[in-house]
Amino acid sequence: MKLAELQMRFQAGIVKGDNAILASIVDSRRTDRATLFAVYHDAYRMRLAEFLSHDFPVLRVHLGEEAFGRLVEDYMSAPSRQPNARWYGTRLPDFMQEMAPWRRNRSAIDLARFERALSDAFDAPDAPISTIDALRDIRAEDWPRLAFEFHPSLRLLDLAGGTAQIYAALAQEEKPLVIRQGEEAILFWRNDGQSFYRPVAEDERLALLEARRDKPFGDICALLAFQNNGDDVTWRVAGFLAQWFADGLVTRLSISD
Amino acid sequence: MEKPAPLGFGLGLRPVYYQEILEKSPRVDWFEVISENFMVPGGRPLAMLERIRGTYPIVMHGVSMSIASTAPLDFDYLRALKSLAGRFQPEWISDHLCWTGVHGVNLHDLLPVPYTSEALDHIVDRIRRVQDFLGRRLAIENVSSYVTFTESEMDEWTFIRETAERADCWLLLDVNNVFVSSFNHGFDQASFIDAIPADRVVQLHLAGHSEAVTHKIDTHDQPICEDVWSLYHEVCPRFGSISTMIERDDNFPPFDELMAELDRARATAACARTPAHEAAA
Ligand SMILES: [Fe+2]
Repeated sequence: MKLAELQMRFQAGIVKGDNAILASIVDSRRTDRATLFAVYHDAYRMRLAEFLSHDFPVLRVHLGEEAFGRLVEDYMSAPSRQPNARWYGTRLPDFMQEMAPWRRNRSAIDLARFERALSDAFDAPDAPISTIDALRDIRAEDWPRLAFEFHPSLRLLDLAGGTAQIYAALAQEEKPLVIRQGEEAILFWRNDGQSFYRPVAEDERLALLEARRDKPFGDICALLAFQNNGDDVTWRVAGFLAQWFADGLVTRLSISD
Repeated sequence: MEKPAPLGFGLGLRPVYYQEILEKSPRVDWFEVISENFMVPGGRPLAMLERIRGTYPIVMHGVSMSIASTAPLDFDYLRALKSLAGRFQPEWISDHLCWTGVHGVNLHDLLPVPYTSEALDHIVDRIRRVQDFLGRRLAIENVSSYVTFTESEMDEWTFIRETAERADCWLLLDVNNVFVSSFNHGFDQASFIDAIPADRVVQLHLAGHSEAVTHKIDTHDQPICEDVWSLYHEVCPRFGSISTMIERDDNFPPFDELMAELDRARATAACARTPAHEAAA
């Protein structure tokens, strides 16, 4: 048999449990070929389950061993196409969103998105962060045109209300809570090698979304004022800005034209 | 053909030990890193490696080259590997004599090859192409295997020797894998060791494995067993002073336990080279 054919059968034996490969394997002195081939078949399942448990530890606690096991099995029906195991679980949240019965489980999907954001922040590209001192060099008349660049690890997700609390409770092995009505915005980022998250209020969420679209300080203040019946909210945007520096989210300031 | 100078006794660089390594600068001569763990855009792993590389030599050990696969070579992977090597300057780059999948699938395992002349030609050609691309020799490692193919036309050791000589590559001899495979397939360890061209072996691996009743599995989650220590003692004289490292990938013990195993490797290698041993042998 040609090597290509043998490898195809071997792979089908692992992924689909096809028996054709057994014709190319000999029994050992101690045991039969099916038992020996099962080492590869079983290790494959165990390894993929390990990748997912590693990336989604809290989702695993949330679902419980049995349901998480079923999710792993379902997800496995499409084999990995990644040379790097790190990316194997990347599609899990999307997969859950598309597939019955998982797509009905909003809290599980959003926990998966939450954990995925933490791991994405963990090994996102590096960039030097800027400190709040950089603001001192900005002339007063340039403030309205002040624009921001953010760390590549930054992720802003709209999740089911209570997701972050469920995550925190489960991560500390406390009694899980249930999701609330409505949504919450959670910000994820990395600072000094560690992933962080915090909830952001609706106005900070809006400010961040605008700032990431290269909207300058003046435009952000105007938009938030508009949302707030025309009241001046510059003081509040300045507060967000100070927090973004403190979190290590800002990498560069510029003056837009 | 001059082998790279021996590095001494090394350990695998694993995230659980980063802090301890940085704080204590332990007496490890070098570290082996899993290349794929650092093929990420940024973050802590790369920052840690940057710092540790400042103090220790490293070698890069990969698990995804799939050199024996009939699928086309993955040049995206090879480009990433080359750029990682450019950044961290490893003493050498190694991967396994195995395949990991076909048709775009990755089974994330080190899968065995039939020892046929077709497979040999195929692998030799691919190692040569990879070496041309990377601009350096690869070190190819023998894997643990659990099945024997009816197609095989030669012994594993003949296959490995032919591969190394025809592809003009280095070898990484995993002593635990020789032990595990010899148990699983019932071959004589000495035949294997004697057939390996010593002038091509740049590194030895030591590791623990787990036991099923009828076969042993290469899991790297246990201390090195007495049988593997004994085999290591036996092979040492054949390879002289050679870079040796201990692989531990799961069930991580306190770092001191790995240091104790590494000291035992040092002692074993030293004792295997004494004249008394030669007289006894
Ligand atoms: Fe090894």
